[in-house]
Amino acid sequence: MSFTRPDGRGNEDKRPLHIIYERLDRVDGSARFGFGDTKALASVSGPIEVRLAAEQPSKATFDVTVRPLSSLPGTESKALATSLRGLLSPSLILSRNPRTLLQLVVQSLTPSPIESYPPSLAAACINASSLALLNAGSIPMTGVVCAAGVALFRSTTEEDIPALVLDPSESESREAVGCGCFAFLFRTEIAGSQPLPTNDTPGARLVWTNWHVKDGTSDDGELARAQALGLAGAETIWRAIKQSVPQMDNLPPPPLPSRSTAGELGIITQSDEVSDQDMNDAKIEI
Amino acid sequence: MRPPSPSIAEKDFFFNALNQNLRLDGRELLEPRQLGISFGSELGHVECSLGKTRVLAHVDAKMVRPEAQRPFEGLITIHCELSPMAGSEYEPGRQSDEEIALARMLDKIFRRSDAIDRETLCIIAGERVWHLHLSIHALADAGGLLDCASLASAAALRHFRRSEVEVIGAREVIVHDSTTRAPVPLAMHHTPFCVSFAFYSPPGVGREPRMLLDPAGLEQRLAHGMLTLALTPQRELAVVHKAGGLPLAPESLMGAVQVAARRARELEAWLDVRVREDWGRKKVEVR
Repeated sequence: MSFTRPDGRGNEDKRPLHIIYERLDRVDGSARFGFGDTKALASVSGPIEVRLAAEQPSKATFDVTVRPLSSLPGTESKALATSLRGLLSPSLILSRNPRTLLQLVVQSLTPSPIESYPPSLAAACINASSLALLNAGSIPMTGVVCAAGVALFRSTTEEDIPALVLDPSESESREAVGCGCFAFLFRTEIAGSQPLPTNDTPGARLVWTNWHVKDGTSDDGELARAQALGLAGAETIWRAIKQSVPQMDNLPPPPLPSRSTAGELGIITQSDEVSDQDMNDAKIEI
Repeated sequence: MRPPSPSIAEKDFFFNALNQNLRLDGRELLEPRQLGISFGSELGHVECSLGKTRVLAHVDAKMVRPEAQRPFEGLITIHCELSPMAGSEYEPGRQSDEEIALARMLDKIFRRSDAIDRETLCIIAGERVWHLHLSIHALADAGGLLDCASLASAAALRHFRRSEVEVIGAREVIVHDSTTRAPVPLAMHHTPFCVSFAFYSPPGVGREPRMLLDPAGLEQRLAHGMLTLALTPQRELAVVHKAGGLPLAPESLMGAVQVAARRARELEAWLDVRVREDWGRKKVEVR
């Protein structure tokens, strides 16, 4: 279909990805993920001490908080937090740390006039949470959850096949007839004495979606195509995350003097260390 | 959950070091931590760091109906809520004393001290005014959260520019896009900066209490008294906050004020350079 997106991207092109491990001081793991300007920051603390009322005898309590950038947190944030909790739980082995707390806080960094989480922002929140969990490294995980947003545009003539686009921007999500975010859990199933698989991307299964169509006329075929496009997007994100993990412990860029130009070119490789930062870390900061 | 109180070993080590005029991170007694700032792609979106403490501030504006008693003034709201990201002692839903103190101080510093000229935010008297909403999110609390939050707020308010509006007749308002007419910075009467000090009992009889500028995490928890001053670079005090703690002689207090005044001038100069740099990079206006 001859569908052109406002910013000239192809239907299957994502915006440049930003993966930054924030190294926030008071939490165990933290990371920022962005599709272009749609960004989210997540932090993970755990296993830490839990309030007696929330303690569970056989597994860790998993608590998720989502905060919007400029509105007061309300129903939408609570709904996304509940969804995040549900979709991340299959990837975590919570039974290893009973009577403790795993606390995940997701901060949206994308301004919007009302409290809403369009598909790309929800996907950014999910990806940032996975990155923060990997960065913490303190909770055993079975796999990594990656997500991508998809939007559906229909043309006015009946003959044309509707166009599915990957990673819609906020304005595209508003104008689209249908949109949603698809989250997949990537994990390798190993049975018995099988050798480890050598192919690139492990198997994926869908763990969550909020696909909805405004005009009510959708069919299973359309959902399946949208899911396939979402899976393709999530696979590239998984590979980007895998590439960023070996550089996770490199020193972060110098403390924010003028970092606004960093990150427009894709994955951040934080290899330009600063000698100041070395010296500061060597002194005791309590 | 609250972090465990400092252990006896930490306390002893800290006070022994302080008796020799040494700080745990090697700074001088009146030396502040390193500052950092980064601007987002939107005007008014700022992330500020003071050592390892980091705060995010975001300003946005929308048009609303003004209050009935003040039809000529715009509205300003400041929203500051601490999440467990800043530290696991901050629980969502429950506001601890520190959070309340932080929110109140920011309110006093920026809203009650009339830092922003509210009359310039009026579009049509009685009908439409700008409502500025400042959101502050603490990303990491390693001591000095109030200083960092107020610096981030000042930076966000300085950096922000609202769209240019044109009023035609008595009721029609045209809001110009930022690509047709350059957006307008906020009219600020003054920019207050917050400086915190921690005080410790004198080591012996007849000596002065020790004073540290910009206390970090452990220093803040072990302080016998805290003093926070909010002042402008023009040496006008906006807020003096000393709630309980070690009694201070007037000389110590005035000494702190002098140090804070110097610091406020430094912060102003630094912030001005950074904001203009970013405006230049974003090409906000063409002259």
